[in-house]
Amino acid sequence: MDRREFLKYSGLLTAAGMSPELLFAANGSRPDKIVVFVELKGGNDGFNTLAPYKDPDYQHHRHNIGVKERVALTLGEKDMAMHPRLKGLHNIWNKGEMAWIQGVGYPNSVLSHFRSMDIIETGSHANQVLDHGWLSQIVPGYKQGLHGISVSNDGSSLGPLHSSHLNSVSMQSPRTFVNQSKIIKDITPVNSTPALAHLTNTQHQLFEVGNQLRAKMSRSLRQKKTTRSKGVLGHSLESVAQMIIAGIDSPVYKVTQTGFDTHSGQVGRHNNVLYQLDHGLSRFIHSMKQNGLWNKVVIVSYSEFGRRLSENRGGGTDHGTASAQFVIGGGVQGGIYGEAPDLSRVDSNGNVAHTTDYRQVYATLAQRVWNQPNHPWRGHQTIPFI
Amino acid sequence: MGKLGLFRARHLVSRTSIGAEWENIQRYKNLTLQDAIKHTLNYADYNIPHEPKTSPWAKTIRNRNSMSRQRNMQRMAKTEGKAIQNWWVNHMLTTKTPFLERMTLFWHNHFPSTIEQTKQPSALFEQNVTQRRHALGNYGNLLFAMAKDPGMLIYLDGYKNVKGDPNENFARELLELFTLGGTVYYRENDIKEAARAFTGWGIDDRTGKFRFYPEKHDTGIKTFMGHRGNFDGDDILMILMKHPRTAETIAEKMWLEFVSSSKPNAAYTRRWAKSFRDSNYDIKALLVAILSSDAFWDIGNMGALVKSPVELTIGTMRALPYRLRKNNLAHNLSIMGQSLFAHNSVKGWSGGNDWISTQSLMRRTGLLTNLTRGNLRKANDAKMMQHMPNCSDEDLVTWLLPVPPLNPLPTQPGRQRLVRALVLDPAYQVS
Repeated sequence: MDRREFLKYSGLLTAAGMSPELLFAANGSRPDKIVVFVELKGGNDGFNTLAPYKDPDYQHHRHNIGVKERVALTLGEKDMAMHPRLKGLHNIWNKGEMAWIQGVGYPNSVLSHFRSMDIIETGSHANQVLDHGWLSQIVPGYKQGLHGISVSNDGSSLGPLHSSHLNSVSMQSPRTFVNQSKIIKDITPVNSTPALAHLTNTQHQLFEVGNQLRAKMSRSLRQKKTTRSKGVLGHSLESVAQMIIAGIDSPVYKVTQTGFDTHSGQVGRHNNVLYQLDHGLSRFIHSMKQNGLWNKVVIVSYSEFGRRLSENRGGGTDHGTASAQFVIGGGVQGGIYGEAPDLSRVDSNGNVAHTTDYRQVYATLAQRVWNQPNHPWRGHQTIPFI
Repeated sequence: MGKLGLFRARHLVSRTSIGAEWENIQRYKNLTLQDAIKHTLNYADYNIPHEPKTSPWAKTIRNRNSMSRQRNMQRMAKTEGKAIQNWWVNHMLTTKTPFLERMTLFWHNHFPSTIEQTKQPSALFEQNVTQRRHALGNYGNLLFAMAKDPGMLIYLDGYKNVKGDPNENFARELLELFTLGGTVYYRENDIKEAARAFTGWGIDDRTGKFRFYPEKHDTGIKTFMGHRGNFDGDDILMILMKHPRTAETIAEKMWLEFVSSSKPNAAYTRRWAKSFRDSNYDIKALLVAILSSDAFWDIGNMGALVKSPVELTIGTMRALPYRLRKNNLAHNLSIMGQSLFAHNSVKGWSGGNDWISTQSLMRRTGLLTNLTRGNLRKANDAKMMQHMPNCSDEDLVTWLLPVPPLNPLPTQPGRQRLVRALVLDPAYQVS
């Protein structure tokens, strides 16, 4: 092989263009429905988030760290209560705009953080490896152009938006994005190697989204910040609110709260992360309501797994299976959905059996939010939370 | 066997060094492949610069156990953490044997431990020294050393793993990440039993070194991967070293490090894993198999790797006469997603195509733009040319890019302008 032959070879390959569905719409407007995913990273303890506080098995296994009746935020049905730090969300519950889904999991659950998160984010079976985030199966059918924005402190994880079939971008905040994307020039994506294909696609998306943000947000970003949000999640959600209000055409946003891997000293740590969650979401909801956007927005939480029923000696809980998930929004039918896991029957690891497959939530979002009847989870029953 | 020539020498150097240094390429282009690989693997200087000052375990142990002194711990860890990050960054920038640092970085990502979770930079520094010592040695020795490494014992709670209250954290990652890989080659019960076997492995309060506490060790019978016995941690590691998956896990990771960001090709990685096992886990034997393989030299795999932030920034500064105005390299690496001693998770940086997100691409482009800023007029070229190879423009393109540039080259003349255009070309981001 020599240089000339090499040039010829690569030249042939780099000539390939983009598939049409990945092209950006010229002037997208705010979609009818906007779904905000809140990733609770580390494995959120469902039993203390939505607590069966009257169940004798719960009281027995969670003697020290369980949610106690005197502080529990009761829901008035099914003897369930919310964690005492979720006060703001409890108000939303009382308005009938919050749905809890109990016992969410999947068969043959995996207790590895990475693997289980991959399963949840790609929508696979326990023993199946898929390469694309589950939203790639739905969102391109719903709209063209920009499909999703992930906002996080390190601007890295796209999660369910991770796919070469999606136009999805990650950022720390629209402000840094607008500033830093100035130097980015557009490029025609190539596919000579997977690495170059990914790189050039990302650069093209960066250019397009940078342009849109500049056009729609330059003025609002120049205004003085009057923020009252705290913490990483609070700031991320504030960014999401800014983009929705500015009319960015993304139908999906994703934000992350870390710190749910509470192997020891759970009470303080879980209190803290749930407080962050409650604070950030409450402010976000308030801002959506103020701007008359609340009926368009659906907030969905997810986590890689729940935690073990029994507390350990370190006052924490180890990796578990079924967990509780919430969906919030102006158009959400409040209530508790699904069966509570049977706490009197645990497997050899001390974990309960799940009662709701996590893909039922995906099927519901696909059909009822995005009107996409042809989705891969048709075998899973939808849940009437929306 | 013929000589490598410029094109192949630059491929070997850019994938084994930190930055494709012109002098190395010139040396290699007149060697045969075999001799070039031999030189790459054996040219290693194990001396390290003067170590940064860190607080020893004996000093921090009191703060560690006191709730009220947690803030002191945090502050100390942050300051000393920055010191060890800067120490390593500077070493990577100045070392004469970059392949050794590159492999140390590879193992740092295979066996990560973080400042935030250990709050013990002294132990992380020692861990780095140990990883460098074994970086081109024997994987078995490295694995045993890491299982007893104080930094690792803190990071994955091994020192809290005691009889009657086993902590599964280390055992789980040992199976899922360090040896068998994935989640299908063992069962949940194997993790539990392995955790029991490792009980009693801890840290000596006075010396901060590994210490076995017999009274905290569970001496009962364990069943692990189909074997039964009164196993201790060493026995578990021995069983894992006999399992064919252990070598395959490493071979697959090396595919992603040296060959391509696409899924490892099992036909190759199985063969490499076999040579690895046949050599009793000699890391150099594995590297010879990889660097002399068709896959490594396949023209379709040129430009198939994404440069890590270390390669992109430190590599550029090693190969070209560019300097940052402020010495904040460690911070720059961190905002591009490769904060040293600060991985997001025990899985390490996922690397490959994941180095590039919209967020990180802005940072990467921004850094290269800053580095190459300056007076681009042709009159100013002479100054730069003192530190640049005197070669044709065509050779310059071959040197700096693994594939032809994606952007058109500048029409205005000038060496600096050309180099800048090449460094800012998307093709420069890949290797």
